[in-house]
Amino acid sequence: MLRIYQRLWALHWAESWQYRANTLMYLLYWLVSPVVYLAVWTTVANTQGDVRGLTANDFITYYLMLLIVDNLTSTITVHILAYRIQDGTFSGDLVRPVHPILGGVLMNNLSFKVLNFGALLPIWLVLLVLFRPDFSAVTWLNLVLALPAIVLGFGIAFLLGAIITCIAFWTTRVHAINEFYNAVSLLLGGMFVPLALLPPLAQQIAQFLPFQLYLSFPILLILGKLTPEQIGLNFGLQVLWLGLTWLLFELVWRNGVRRFSAVGA
Amino acid sequence: MHIFKLLSTFFKVNVQQELAYRADAVVNMLMSLMWLGWELLSLSIIFSNTATLGGWGPGELVTLLGVWRLVNTLMAALIWPNTEKFNNSVRDGSLDYTLLQPVSSLFLISFGRMVVWRLFDVLLALGLIIGGLTMSGGSATPLQLASFMLLTISGMMIIYSLWIVLIAVTFWFVKFDNNVTILQALMDAGRYPATVYPFWLRMLITFVIPIAVATTVPLQALRGDLAPWQTLLFLGVSAVSLLVAMQFWRFGIRRYSGASS
Repeated sequence: MLRIYQRLWALHWAESWQYRANTLMYLLYWLVSPVVYLAVWTTVANTQGDVRGLTANDFITYYLMLLIVDNLTSTITVHILAYRIQDGTFSGDLVRPVHPILGGVLMNNLSFKVLNFGALLPIWLVLLVLFRPDFSAVTWLNLVLALPAIVLGFGIAFLLGAIITCIAFWTTRVHAINEFYNAVSLLLGGMFVPLALLPPLAQQIAQFLPFQLYLSFPILLILGKLTPEQIGLNFGLQVLWLGLTWLLFELVWRNGVRRFSAVGA
Repeated sequence: MHIFKLLSTFFKVNVQQELAYRADAVVNMLMSLMWLGWELLSLSIIFSNTATLGGWGPGELVTLLGVWRLVNTLMAALIWPNTEKFNNSVRDGSLDYTLLQPVSSLFLISFGRMVVWRLFDVLLALGLIIGGLTMSGGSATPLQLASFMLLTISGMMIIYSLWIVLIAVTFWFVKFDNNVTILQALMDAGRYPATVYPFWLRMLITFVIPIAVATTVPLQALRGDLAPWQTLLFLGVSAVSLLVAMQFWRFGIRRYSGASS
């Protein structure tokens, strides 16, 4: 089993490396929005001193950390798999001796991530010089705690992405559903705005939905903004949502594969 | 007139093509409405935390959103689909047939493909612009309104010129099919006034990929931030850039030798 994963990794790493110019373009594309939000919120903070207690430095550290966390927890499953289900080439993946999504697709996600992260680091260092954040509140303990939070967060994001992709077994197209998911995730995950600036009711709802578990929670954890109780609650929620998304994924996968009729075959 | 007859023929052909995918068009329009809701919600979150964004009020940001959506529609309705068609035609040589037509090749490759349902987006954008202007209280003078409209059009002309240059580069580097990604990547920065961005980002979207010239600058004219000479300068720049781009296109065409020969 391990050997299969090693081969899959080698395959997808070679493939990702082949498209390194595209990776760089994708990275630039992905980088613009967070930097824009950073600029918007620091402008607001600078004109009035602070925004509900958040200073310009809070926004700068938040968004710089967001670049790292989002890079580690986001997934590309919809982009690499949905069209294969749509045009029927997915049939080939089904005859392999390993789960298509938990094998090849997962490895493809990871190789893309490693390459992307390597390209992000130098850019991130430049941004560090440009924005001069004060990271003095970050402790080693927070960084160590953030590791399982990021891994669990990636697990949730990966399974959600896989579930949305699997809807293609029924509808063939998932573009619209995915756009909707993105829009909700941008608002309630902590991308457009740190969740503390949402209206109170929206904050309450966002806390218990999965979107913040793979973005806002790891960021705030690293930055030392959470009390031990909040950290415990969020880890509990992560385990709960990982279980829920796993069950849902199993359900969707089993029924979906049976419905799959291999268009064009 | 010749050109208008051609345009209306292109339009009819594209309507016929799209009628085959009616459900798609409806879903896409709903998506556009959803993002509009998202954008307005995000603006309301910003303004629930502050009275102005870098000195700009809610009405001005709604107008800016309208202008940004107009530019975005230009991209989505004409620029992206025609780029895809053009890149393929350089690679497989079918550009030969375009060049043989007795009409300007630049005209044919710019308007051959039109995503017709995007007219809906144009209406939404115009609605936002008018809505935003009303929210600001209609304090703009007729001169400011006129320069706002002229600069919106000239801003789109500058983006169109840059597009021509970018795709003409394909004549030298056939595999350069990432040619417009950079334009697309920086689009998101046009949603907010460029004056709130750090210096380097402002320079990037003003001088390198001039998204801000098509979005922030018209709004600055509307707010009365621009001196008359600045307005005239931007109008001049757009005319010059269009001429330079057309010259560059002709220069590039001479490099093209077909795919098989």
